[in-house]
Amino acid sequence: METKKTRFIKKAFYLLLSLSSIALLIIGWIFLASRRPGLFPSPQETWDRLILFLEKPLRGPLYKHVWDSLRRVVIAVAAACGLGVIFGTALGWSRLFKSTFGTIFEIIRPIPPIAWVPLITIWFGIGEFPKILLVFIGTFAIVVINTAAGVMMAEPLYLAVGKIFQANNFQMIREIVLPASIPAIFAGIRTALGVGWAIVLAAEMLGSISGTGFLIARGMQIGDTALIFICMFIIGIIGALLSLFASFIERRVCPWRTEK
Amino acid sequence: MSKKKIELLGFKRDKWIYNIIIPVLSIITFLLIWELLVRYGIIPTRYLPRPSELINTFIDKLSNPKPEGSTLPMNILSSLRISLSGFLTAVIIGVPLGWFMGWYKPIDRFVKPLFETIRPIPPIAWIPLTILLLGIGIRAKVYIIFFAAFVPCVINAYTGIRLADITLINVAKTCGANNFQIFVKVGIPSSFQMVFAGIRIALGASWTTLVAAEMLAAGSGLGYMILMGRQFARPDLIVLGMLIIGSIGALMAIVLSKIEQRMEVWRFKK
Repeated sequence: METKKTRFIKKAFYLLLSLSSIALLIIGWIFLASRRPGLFPSPQETWDRLILFLEKPLRGPLYKHVWDSLRRVVIAVAAACGLGVIFGTALGWSRLFKSTFGTIFEIIRPIPPIAWVPLITIWFGIGEFPKILLVFIGTFAIVVINTAAGVMMAEPLYLAVGKIFQANNFQMIREIVLPASIPAIFAGIRTALGVGWAIVLAAEMLGSISGTGFLIARGMQIGDTALIFICMFIIGIIGALLSLFASFIERRVCPWRTEK
Repeated sequence: MSKKKIELLGFKRDKWIYNIIIPVLSIITFLLIWELLVRYGIIPTRYLPRPSELINTFIDKLSNPKPEGSTLPMNILSSLRISLSGFLTAVIIGVPLGWFMGWYKPIDRFVKPLFETIRPIPPIAWIPLTILLLGIGIRAKVYIIFFAAFVPCVINAYTGIRLADITLINVAKTCGANNFQIFVKVGIPSSFQMVFAGIRIALGASWTTLVAAEMLAAGSGLGYMILMGRQFARPDLIVLGMLIIGSIGALMAIVLSKIEQRMEVWRFKK
């Protein structure tokens, strides 16, 4: 009985701590807003701005901007997965491929995707394709590295069994190597979705007329901090949702990986 | 015996071929194709510089502040200084915070809601707000990079210390160590591997974010340089900047893994 009581008190104490930290966040926000009025919007002002935005859209309604960004990420990540898995499998499987194309890949890889923006703008302008390409560049490398790591971790014993049964290279990859590397590939896809969501922001901030990145950059240009706040919230929420979605798919596809 | 030796030699030769000769050949082929494509006008020079041209640009840029206002060493120095100060601040604050959160439950409960609020926001999304509030000076950029590096440091220190072996903790308890002693002697050392993985992620993130920050608002730095390369239609400057950004990023990763090996000597000793 006594332990039950202490446990209850402990739980209440922890809950109180969590609540007080959230309260602290909100109080801090209000305090900052009162210190620098105009520049730092209060929660109320942010909410009003959101309502205003929903009533008077800025180059299209809010959901369209979100949808534009999401579409770019999804297309790019899908392409990166398709090509990345092929490239990564070749990289992990063939020594020759690794020492030729792998070398060039390793040289290009450390360049941050955002550093490609000026070159890609010179090449393709600021339309839809360059943004998708940019996200593709950023996510392709992640999928490739994870796939290659997964392929190289394939159980040597199984490969030996495959050899004994005279499987050819293609059969070995399809029947043994790829199933073994699915968890690694999906871990890569999950990371790629998160990274892609960040890159699309940068791409949109540096030249676009739609998308959440455009909205937040516009907020910066016209000094509309409330708009920036709204965008940061939306970006954070969608990023969190994307990561949840990816782990959900991951758990569906490879249920034996329950940890984390 | 001799057969074994021959096999070994063959293996060595194979390694030599695959690790050095073929990679070098493929880089040369790559550069050659690039050079020829541009030289014979299949790709116009206004889209892509020739590799040989890049060397000239590099030498020229070492002492020439044109067109955007700073020489290459100045740009590198300014980028490095900002990214490293943001990164180090994040490590110094983030790693201990992660340790405490992972070890002491009240701290975890208190910090978690705050941390989970800022965690999903990509560092790039902090740039507009920071610039509006703090201007485009060094302080604003250090702040942005701090955010980029802070999150992975905390997460990995947190996960790492939670992975501490329960047997070791019990041994320490049996020997009469108090909670704080166990935290220092068992918890922190067992988190080292994860912490280093986090620091590596943080380093990469801070470098990438710096480039983004410099492209959005700055008056110097490598990101500014490549952005101005676009403004002045100088693809050679852009590609040079990209290569330098990439190599500095790679170099920092190598240095970090060397430090990691140094510090984790006890792990390899046994």
